[in-house]
Amino acid sequence: MAEVHVIGQIVGASGFSESSLFCKWGIHTGAAWKLLSGVREGQTQVDTPQIGDMAYWSHPIDLHFATKGLQGWPRLHFQVWSQDSFGRCQLAGYGFCHVPSSPGTHQLACPTWRPLGSWREQLARAFVGGGPQLLHGDTIYSGADRYRLHTAAGGTVHLEISLLLRNFDRYGVEC
Amino acid sequence: MATASPSVFLLMVNGQVESAQFPEYDDLYCKYCFVYGQDWAPTAGLEEGISQITSKSQDMRQVLVWNFPIDVTFKSTNPYGWPQIVLSVYGPDVFGNDVVRGYGAVHVPFSPGRHKRTIPMFVPESTSKMQKFTSWFTGRRPEYTDPKVVAQGEGREVTRVRSQGFVTLLFNVVTKDMRKLGYDTGPLDTQGVSWPSPPQGFPQ
Repeated sequence: MAEVHVIGQIVGASGFSESSLFCKWGIHTGAAWKLLSGVREGQTQVDTPQIGDMAYWSHPIDLHFATKGLQGWPRLHFQVWSQDSFGRCQLAGYGFCHVPSSPGTHQLACPTWRPLGSWREQLARAFVGGGPQLLHGDTIYSGADRYRLHTAAGGTVHLEISLLLRNFDRYGVEC
Repeated sequence: MATASPSVFLLMVNGQVESAQFPEYDDLYCKYCFVYGQDWAPTAGLEEGISQITSKSQDMRQVLVWNFPIDVTFKSTNPYGWPQIVLSVYGPDVFGNDVVRGYGAVHVPFSPGRHKRTIPMFVPESTSKMQKFTSWFTGRRPEYTDPKVVAQGEGREVTRVRSQGFVTLLFNVVTKDMRKLGYDTGPLDTQGVSWPSPPQGFPQ
């Protein structure tokens, strides 16, 4: 069986209007993939940057997959939230990106979006906070019901992911 | 002579903790240690170290230089748990107490060659203003009981931190027998990989 190691960090996020950000991340794979070691999801620390506007998480990711097929290549998905001084959390953006398919180290910048509601909800969000959130998290990484949504851009999540592949050439896979 | 196929691969890392940029703090020293998974074991070199205390240069760059050597070799059967270097930077506060100025961690690079990494450093922060004042006053700042927490993902979701500086590291990486075991680490990268750069005004 071929093996894939996804090792790296969620470095941080930039371009969000709020500071004090944290990120809930997860990885989704197809049926042919099996996670041998590592945690499939997690949540980063909350960072309030003193210098510049980029929030730094340095959250390590270390995953070891065994796979029987190329379908369902892993996708990392993120929910970026901001936390205010009272401890309330507000959604700042959803985003996903595929894990790179060529071995080596990659710098990834994943754009994010957040759902807009009606104009009443947008006004309420500006004054009181809150705002609409997705009911089902899998809309973040699947295209199925996206046509129903109206969204606005959030900031960018920065990742540094390295990929180690094992035995892919034995099966004739070029990447 | 029959060559037995190897079961173990080696990772040799040398390099230095080069310098730091902390705009608000001076007279800093750093400690490094390595965190690795259960399948890994160090075979040579030092796993931890403490650097000298350095002051900011008087010129416009305002850079803190340690030039502190790193030299370690690991052996392993499995890339899971790839070693990370954890850095902790400490310095004096207004009253002379030694307080933590930043924690940071990064994975040792995967592909053989020369790599430069600039990593952000952050400190844990208390949530209440009263606690921030008493910790400033008594010199007992929030810190991690074990800096190795910074290299793990679990348990971080309840921590609040403040990022306030950067440290630049240089690595030279050599691996042995990874290809024989079937691992493909990608193209050899001798220029180093660019990192999301620190904000404008800081030297690279």
